[in-house]
Amino acid sequence: MEIANLPISPSHRAKLLSAGYTTFSSLSAVSPSQLARDLNIALQEASDILKVVSDITRSESLHGGNAILKGAQTAWDMLSEEQMQKRITTGCDDLDTILGGGIHCKEVTEVGGVPGIGKTQLGIQLAVNVQIPVEYGGLGGKAVYIDTEGSFMVERAYQVAEGCIMDTLDKFGHHRKVILDCQEQMQPNSFLANIFYFRICSYTEQIAVINYLQKFLAEQKDVKIIIIDSVTFHFRQDFDDLALRTRVLCGMSLKLMELTKTYNLAVVLLNQVTTKFTEGSFQLTLALGDSWSHACTNRVILYWNGNERHAYIDKSPSLRSASAPFSVTSKGIRNATSQCKRVRMM
Amino acid sequence: MLDPHPTSFLSQRRLENGKDAMVPIKPESPLNLPTQKLSLGCPVLDRLVRGGLPVGSVTELAGESGTGKSQICLQLLLAALRPPSLGGLSAASLYIHSEFPFPLRRLRRLLTPFAPSSVVPTPLDHIFVRPAHSPDDLLSLLTAVDALLARPPSALPVRLLVVDSIAALFRSEFDNTPADLKRRSSLFFKIAAKLKEQARRFEAVVVVTNQVVDVVGGSESYGSSGNAIRVGNYGSLWSSGRRVCPALGLSWANCINTRIFLSRSDDIVRNERALVDEESDDRVHGTVVRTRRKMEMVFAPHLPEASCEFVIVSEGVFGVEAQRA
Repeated sequence: MEIANLPISPSHRAKLLSAGYTTFSSLSAVSPSQLARDLNIALQEASDILKVVSDITRSESLHGGNAILKGAQTAWDMLSEEQMQKRITTGCDDLDTILGGGIHCKEVTEVGGVPGIGKTQLGIQLAVNVQIPVEYGGLGGKAVYIDTEGSFMVERAYQVAEGCIMDTLDKFGHHRKVILDCQEQMQPNSFLANIFYFRICSYTEQIAVINYLQKFLAEQKDVKIIIIDSVTFHFRQDFDDLALRTRVLCGMSLKLMELTKTYNLAVVLLNQVTTKFTEGSFQLTLALGDSWSHACTNRVILYWNGNERHAYIDKSPSLRSASAPFSVTSKGIRNATSQCKRVRMM
Repeated sequence: MLDPHPTSFLSQRRLENGKDAMVPIKPESPLNLPTQKLSLGCPVLDRLVRGGLPVGSVTELAGESGTGKSQICLQLLLAALRPPSLGGLSAASLYIHSEFPFPLRRLRRLLTPFAPSSVVPTPLDHIFVRPAHSPDDLLSLLTAVDALLARPPSALPVRLLVVDSIAALFRSEFDNTPADLKRRSSLFFKIAAKLKEQARRFEAVVVVTNQVVDVVGGSESYGSSGNAIRVGNYGSLWSSGRRVCPALGLSWANCINTRIFLSRSDDIVRNERALVDEESDDRVHGTVVRTRRKMEMVFAPHLPEASCEFVIVSEGVFGVEAQRA
């Protein structure tokens, strides 16, 4: 029994065993106050015991000798961590709602839609919104924007940054001190300077940049979002070896998922749509869907509903299928202007 | 991770200090990106596109025959020669045409009002024209164009590339079978990737013209059959009284950055004075057929939905301010 080997006083050891704590793992989720109650000892003594246990389990896992897997977390830890995660707002309340508050860090979100629906607009909006200072409820982070199609227009990014700053300051108007502190940051040019922009012109450059990001992100700790606009454009040409294409796409998606977990950031992949002939008719589907569909955590489709732009959650392990309207204005992505019922569950 | 070209780990091609080079990968700041635009040659039209057509980007002009696509392209060839202070690029152009013959006479007619005091004494020396007969033709031409862009034959760098029209290249070679459509679609992406690469590397404006096809069946809803999937700011596009949409489908629409739709409609305008119809000897009220031309922004990453009427006269294409009735 592991407890028997703990370097603590014999009376404490005996109390642990009679209270039912026989292994180290049984002590991993208990708080000092609870242990103090169970053993009928002082709080400080309980803390000391737990500290000894955690020191030993840590050193044992380094030597590979413990039952607890290195790097494993309990589900409880993961849930509390996730609930503390800040989300990146999209600028539209309804869209944020169906996304569970906004774009999640540590997750890969794919956003697809027809040309002109607003994919690039959303990409630029997120690259701006991630920078909203912590004092204003944002993440205060920086963005990496990988442009594969040449859709990123500086003048538009400037407009969106300006709109975001204006609306944020409006919302927090009465907190004078906060405004003064962040004055330098809250300028459109500062926002633009915090976007690390990569323009790539071929699929090999795309792979190269994603590989480069590993080193880059280790140095730039502030980056909280990576946007790729669009992820499949360079893969839609003829590949002599389709198996190669699948391998490359899989490798790329694994690498991106690894980046989200390692650096605790969000990855947003913008994707094009194509038509697939299924069940006797042409259906809209995301490009390279078959080789790619497992690669993202969440999938959002942007589409036209009459004259209004809508988004719906196509796939997600945690979000419900729902749709929400949004609009693209001169300031960026904002709430839709229609009066009808907003978020619809499907 | 599997990578077939190990050297690409380290570098990418980019324009550095005006020269095409392989540079180590590093991020750019958006504040340093090129923002130049090529004026359309008319202040009203320029207002529609917020200054002009952007460099580093592919702009499509879609419309049926006779709506002014080639005319605008010719106007752009000359606008490119003007200095940036006059909305130009001080640059030569390459005009790749797939419809024959090249409209040399129309281009000559546009030259007369071309300000002689501007930089170039012989504008036609800086306009390079090449024919293309098929998609593969265009691809090999674009590969050869790399050399043209890197070492321009005339004194000016080539910074405007026009393909007139992309649709004509794909007319005859492809059937409607899924296999052929897939093959066609792959070619779109190959051509578009090449055009965009050159637009970026040489800070050039790329303009592609496209035709339109009639919209058949289906509704605008998501995933319906027919070719009526809504793309862009307008649920339906009209020209000459027919509902149309740009050719080459959804695939090609994914390949361009900006789409501008040109349309025409022939309006019968009633005239106050009655005229005698000479052939039938009826007294008819005088009618005049007026061609109304419209330019609409279907989608663009930097422009809102907007439209503008325009006219085509011998001096060129000019926008018309909206009339208050």
